[in-house]
Amino acid sequence: MHPGLVPVPLLATSLPDAITFAVSAVIVIAGAIGVVVARNPVHSALMLVMTLFGVAVLFVEQRADFLAAVQVIVYAGAIVVLFLFVIMLLGVDRREAVSADPLPWQRPLALVLSFCALGSVLALGFSGAWSTGAASVTGALPHRAGDTAALGKVVFTTYLLPFEVTAALLVIAVVAAVLLVRVPQLREQGGQAGAERGGAAGLEGDPEAVSDPGVDGDPQGLGERDREVVPS
Amino acid sequence: MDNYLPIFVLLVLGFLFAALSFTASAILAPRRPSVAKAAPYECGIVPRNEPPERFPVRFYLVAMIFIVFDIEIVFLYPWAVEFRALGTFGLVEILVFAAAVVIAFLYLLSNGALEWGPARRSAHWSSARTTASTVLHISPAPSDPRLSQASGGEAPEHETPAEELAEGSSEAPARAHPHEAA
Amino acid sequence: MSLFFLSALVLPKIAWSAILPELILLAAPLVLLAVSALSARRLPTGVYAGGMGAAGLASLGASVWLWTQVTPHGAGTAVDGAIAVDGFSVLVMILVSSVVVLAALIGEGYLRREGIGGPEYYVLAMFSAAGAMLMASADDLVLIFLGLEIMSIALYVLAGLDARRQGSGEAAMKYFLLGAFSSAIFLYGIALVYGATGSTNLPQIADFLAHNVASSDGLLLAGMALLLVGFFFKIAAVPFHMWTPDVYQGSPTPVTGFMAAVAKAGGFAALLRVFFASFGLLRDDWQPVIWLVAVVTLLVGAVLALVQRDVKRMLAYSSINHAGFILVGLEAATTRGIAASLYYLFVYGFMVVGTFAVVTVIARRGDEAHDLGSYRGLAQRQPFLAAMLALLLLAQAGVPLTTGFLAKLYIISAAVEAHSYALAVIAMVSAAIAAFFYLRVVVLMYAGAKSGVGLPAPLAATGAGEGAGSGELSPVAAYGPGAASAAELEGDRPEASRPDGAGGGEGHGEPDAAGVPATIALAIALCAGFTLLFGIWAQPVVELARQATLLFH
Repeated sequence: MHPGLVPVPLLATSLPDAITFAVSAVIVIAGAIGVVVARNPVHSALMLVMTLFGVAVLFVEQRADFLAAVQVIVYAGAIVVLFLFVIMLLGVDRREAVSADPLPWQRPLALVLSFCALGSVLALGFSGAWSTGAASVTGALPHRAGDTAALGKVVFTTYLLPFEVTAALLVIAVVAAVLLVRVPQLREQGGQAGAERGGAAGLEGDPEAVSDPGVDGDPQGLGERDREVVPS
Repeated sequence: MDNYLPIFVLLVLGFLFAALSFTASAILAPRRPSVAKAAPYECGIVPRNEPPERFPVRFYLVAMIFIVFDIEIVFLYPWAVEFRALGTFGLVEILVFAAAVVIAFLYLLSNGALEWGPARRSAHWSSARTTASTVLHISPAPSDPRLSQASGGEAPEHETPAEELAEGSSEAPARAHPHEAA
Repeated sequence: MSLFFLSALVLPKIAWSAILPELILLAAPLVLLAVSALSARRLPTGVYAGGMGAAGLASLGASVWLWTQVTPHGAGTAVDGAIAVDGFSVLVMILVSSVVVLAALIGEGYLRREGIGGPEYYVLAMFSAAGAMLMASADDLVLIFLGLEIMSIALYVLAGLDARRQGSGEAAMKYFLLGAFSSAIFLYGIALVYGATGSTNLPQIADFLAHNVASSDGLLLAGMALLLVGFFFKIAAVPFHMWTPDVYQGSPTPVTGFMAAVAKAGGFAALLRVFFASFGLLRDDWQPVIWLVAVVTLLVGAVLALVQRDVKRMLAYSSINHAGFILVGLEAATTRGIAASLYYLFVYGFMVVGTFAVVTVIARRGDEAHDLGSYRGLAQRQPFLAAMLALLLLAQAGVPLTTGFLAKLYIISAAVEAHSYALAVIAMVSAAIAAFFYLRVVVLMYAGAKSGVGLPAPLAATGAGEGAGSGELSPVAAYGPGAASAAELEGDRPEASRPDGAGGGEGHGEPDAAGVPATIALAIALCAGFTLLFGIWAQPVVELARQATLLFH
């Protein structure tokens, strides 16, 4: 029933395929590294777009055109826009004081450990037998209609329940957004917004600032204790 | 290999278009920068100080509406492709999904996600601020006290790029320079 | 073209009744949202609480009905193999439905006290419960992941419900960041398992492993390890427990109780099913990992709870300790061990919800008074609360005549039966350590009023115990941190609190005059009544858990 359990050769494809794979892999990984090392959060978000585009190219190469389109529309288009929203809300000119680390050995240790974890996962992956390997990389889809039709078929039959409960996830996300946005109003009800309101109202001609008094670049009040925020 | 030819052609075309646009604008475009043009958004209103926040967090609700329906559309597409095969069964399924999303949308609406009326803002709108008072900084009346306040160090970092530009360019109208005017 | 597909596509037969409890808990929050969106004025929180309570009861009824269906007909699958309908999943559904009813009662009292309006608490709690149920009944890794996400994302938001306290936002942020990370790791694990076995469906994975011998199983091992990490995070097992104290402490107290019960139920249910049912053949590979994690979880949870001054932090570490016990049942990797774990999970849900309900009331408006000092002399101020808390804490400590004792007993005997003697001994030692900090709170409540000592240091409390008005407790106080004190208490404490528990078990509660909201009092009494009733009359629940694993799919 299953194809023989043999390790898949790394380059079982034609040369252009291999080149495309290599180029997009470099783009993906460079983007991912860029997300982590960029100091400016906006640059991080843009690096993420680069990674997502690279992944989309990889999807195309595996003939998963629909997934590639979704990758660009939903992830690069919508999710990163949402990221940028949050970055802008919190203020691009604030950045974490990375030098002020209470546990200085923590960062290098995390780096070493994560490389160990990654290395062991990769080593196990290469040493292991892929039962799905060859078929999914180079094999054609079971019918000619393309992956959108195939996806439509499984999503609405085999994975019907997962599809339906995805709606619950969307609703949760909406409720969560409303709840978190309502934070300032709750503060007003609690009678603690007076000081903030006074401070904000003092700024002449800034209607936005006044309409949501609790939001001063740090809507959930998370910044004060966990990290130092310094203006650049 | 044939699969890659159109992609390659497209790549070259894209590169060429970008290169052409840059070169063309570099060669053809007239450059007469002024302080007003260099100001952010070139809209005539100079920011005097950093706003204490970027924009209201309520924008986030609009973003949520966008995301939710974006994802719903992603699911609608394969359903549409397989519409005939799935028949009533698929229609009911997608309707259940859409109903949940619509309820979320109604909930967002009831929480004012799309309410941008002036009612909430006007309470704290300062009547002292008029069109004249904000546009002053670009073409100031010499006697205006606001100007000296603005250039007197309230937000000096925002003037810096304008200063550099004005000094670097011979065409910049001198009267617009805040320091000179003061 | 379309003709071709018409013939190719076979629409699945879906027995929707098999997931009726989930459907109820997924539909009810949508109804609440629609009601709140369409109603012209703000509805009182009681309306939503009523809706959630009704949904919980309906879901409980549906679960019980499912149990009656499963018992004679045996286990099966539904919704095209995505859902397992077996005693195991149905028992977890019964637990989660009950917790939903209790959370509605507690939430109503809490939200009214804090002046937080809106349907959000109820909506998110019901979604979260539905996610936990999906995790318990899912027969497919994809569905398990979705259930995990529905459960967790709702919990992240619930943790940040109380916007006025900074700790609440901090808890939400911490839980969210670490939880999202662990979800990603879990997803990576699913991908690797799929790569190794060619399926995400649990029976198909088991079938593949039974019929194929992999030339090298590195990929599968990596996948299993990553899945374990994801599960360990959700159940707060030790190397992945760092979030627990902060999140338990920062979250609104009713949410903490709900989180402790539901997240553990969902996480453990899926963990037990995946590793016992699907990877059962590979138990030689995962058993040592579980053994090690169980040991450190047991010890770290018990020892770190000793030094906490904040009751919620203490209970957080105690929940870590409980997770260790449940892991011991999995480590045994026998049907008996799974039954013991399931029983533990079931009774722990009621204990922890009741405990945090009492903590909610004691914390008073603002939800801030969680220092041990707030519990000093509670027995005189709030005899009902003190008795209930004493009963629930002693049950958590594993004092006989409570469900907690039976749970620990079955776990340890399952471990002994599986020849995990070292683990059984370590579990007993950790139970003895844990008994100490539970008893410290009990002693403080009953004897602390007259002690002039500022710190709730154990020795100070013990010394002060002599002069306490509640004479029956002086032996406890004099006993101190002895390992055997739990056993010594056998005939003492539970009987002292039995009248209250039995009275509450009837369902009336005791809305005493001293500021306990009636709904919370009812919930506390139900939890305490369950703990005591089925601690004494042990047979039904034990039998339920045993049958559930016999009907294991």
